[in-house]
Amino acid sequence: MISLPVVLAVAAALFGIGLYGALGQTNTIMVIMGVELMLGAAMLNVVGFLRYSHPDATSGAFFVLVVMTLMAVEAAVGFALVISAFRHSRTAEVDDLTELKG
Amino acid sequence: MSDLGTALVFWPSAAIMLVTALYVFITSSMARAGLLLLAALGIEGLIFVALASEFLGFLQLLMMSGEMVIMVFFMVMFMPDPGGLMGMDMTHDKRRSAAVAAAVTVALAAVAVLTDWPARVVGDDAPDVRAIGFEVMGRSMVTFLFAAMTILFAMVGGVLLAKAGGRYGIGAPLGEARGEAGD
Repeated sequence: MISLPVVLAVAAALFGIGLYGALGQTNTIMVIMGVELMLGAAMLNVVGFLRYSHPDATSGAFFVLVVMTLMAVEAAVGFALVISAFRHSRTAEVDDLTELKG
Repeated sequence: MSDLGTALVFWPSAAIMLVTALYVFITSSMARAGLLLLAALGIEGLIFVALASEFLGFLQLLMMSGEMVIMVFFMVMFMPDPGGLMGMDMTHDKRRSAAVAAAVTVALAAVAVLTDWPARVVGDDAPDVRAIGFEVMGRSMVTFLFAAMTILFAMVGGVLLAKAGGRYGIGAPLGEARGEAGD
């Protein structure tokens, strides 16, 4: 029997893996991948709450659509920033992108 | 789906999803990492199906397929060693990152397990695709339009950021040239 805490615990593990990638990778695209996994974990949370709290509600499913939109937008703007940074400094490594560093 | 069916789909899917997600950051081939991320998020769609959200599950698979294929193209274009053949290490602060991620995972899992959630079991009263369609085109229409506008703004902003001139306008010199000019 799958319960809500089980779903949330799996989502927590997925979030942790995404956080590890976002913090530990040097390439911008890999950082974006980490953020994608974190958003995926958030989506799993929403689906879990939707199924185990209000199974008959349609607004929860709609909220998942909004998070999916957010994932697509984050990737699109992230890729555009990578192109811009690569054109400017010929690298996509976050350690080398220090122009805005204080 | 019965309880047994849900468990039979959920547990293997969750295990494979977490392993593939972890391998995204372990494998040395970046193209392979993109495909592993596609696998992880696609299997997450299977978990949605197991949780009686078939529409969201198949939508997740559809959207992530497109997005991750584009991501693989970007990795091949912009990574110094996309095939992982040179053995480059593209990580930093590995131990601290792992420690922070492990601490966050344990904290979130503890909250998930120790909280007394007012949970119900998965029933057959899940909304069908028709009900979600009425939700999107009815009560949540404004939010749906807002999401659509957000995508439009992201597309326009992405093109503006990515175009050759960048924020300095079309035809502006590259960064190196600006640096030499002393700007």
